[in-house]
Amino acid sequence: MAERVFAGKLERAGFSEIWIGGHRPFGIDEAALYPLFTPGVIEVMRRTIPPAHHDHVATGVIVKASKPS
Amino acid sequence: MTHDLLFQAEIKDSVRQAYAEVSSGGGERLARRLYSEHELAEVPDGAVRWALGVGDPVRYAFLRPGETVLDVGSGGGIDTILAARRVGAEGRAIGLDITEAMCERGRRHAADSGVDAWTEFLLGEMEDIPLPDAAMDVVVSNGVLNLSARKSRALAEIHRTLRPGGRISLADLTVENDLPPEVANDESAWAG
Repeated sequence: MAERVFAGKLERAGFSEIWIGGHRPFGIDEAALYPLFTPGVIEVMRRTIPPAHHDHVATGVIVKASKPS
Repeated sequence: MTHDLLFQAEIKDSVRQAYAEVSSGGGERLARRLYSEHELAEVPDGAVRWALGVGDPVRYAFLRPGETVLDVGSGGGIDTILAARRVGAEGRAIGLDITEAMCERGRRHAADSGVDAWTEFLLGEMEDIPLPDAAMDVVVSNGVLNLSARKSRALAEIHRTLRPGGRISLADLTVENDLPPEVANDESAWAG
C-alpha cells in the first residue's frame, strides 16, 4: 500500500491530524530475518527485483492520527 | 464481488495459517533494529525473540499513566508489554491476535514481565474487534495492517473502538512502486 493510499484510507475512516513519519528503508536482507517470509520468496525477491533496489523494497513508517473529539 | 470475497478469505486463511505455523519470531537481531536498549531491557527474552514487527509504535504513542491501549496484532506481546509499562497498573493494555497460540505467548510473556494484572490478550480479528465502541484511549499496531485484505474495514474498526479524541500509532510498511508479480502474488509475501 502506498503512503498516499494509506493516508486516504485513514481519512475515509474518520481520522484527522494524520502524520506519517519515521521513514526507514526496508530491504530484502531485513525481510529475510522474518520467519514468515519463506526462503523461496526471498530468493524470488533477489531474482526479480533490480539489485539497485535490494536495500529498499519497501519503507517502514510510523502513522499517527486521532479520532476527532 | 464473489471472487473478491473469496480472495479476501484466502488471504486471511493464509495469514492465519502462516502465523499459526511459525515456530519462532524474528529474533534478537530483528528486535535490536527496532527497539532501544532501554526498551529491550523492559521486556522478557521470550517477547524479544518473538518480535515480528516493523517499527516501534509504542515509542511514538506517548502513552500516559492510566490510559487504556489496544495492540492490534499483538503476536508475542512485546509492544503490548511496553504499552502496559507506560500506562501502569492504573491503566489497561489489551493485545488482540488471530491465533490462540500467539495470545498464550503474550500472556506468558506479560506474566514474566509482571504486568499481567492489567494486561490481557484477546483472540480476534482486526476487521471485527471484540471490544465495545469508544473503549480505548490509544490503539497501536506493528506491521499488521498490511496483512489485512480489508484494510479499510480494519481502520473503521480501530476508529470505532477509540473514544473521541483517542489516537493511533501504527508501524507499517508502504510500497511506492509495484512489486514484481511473482513477489506480490506469493502467499508468504502476504503473510510476511
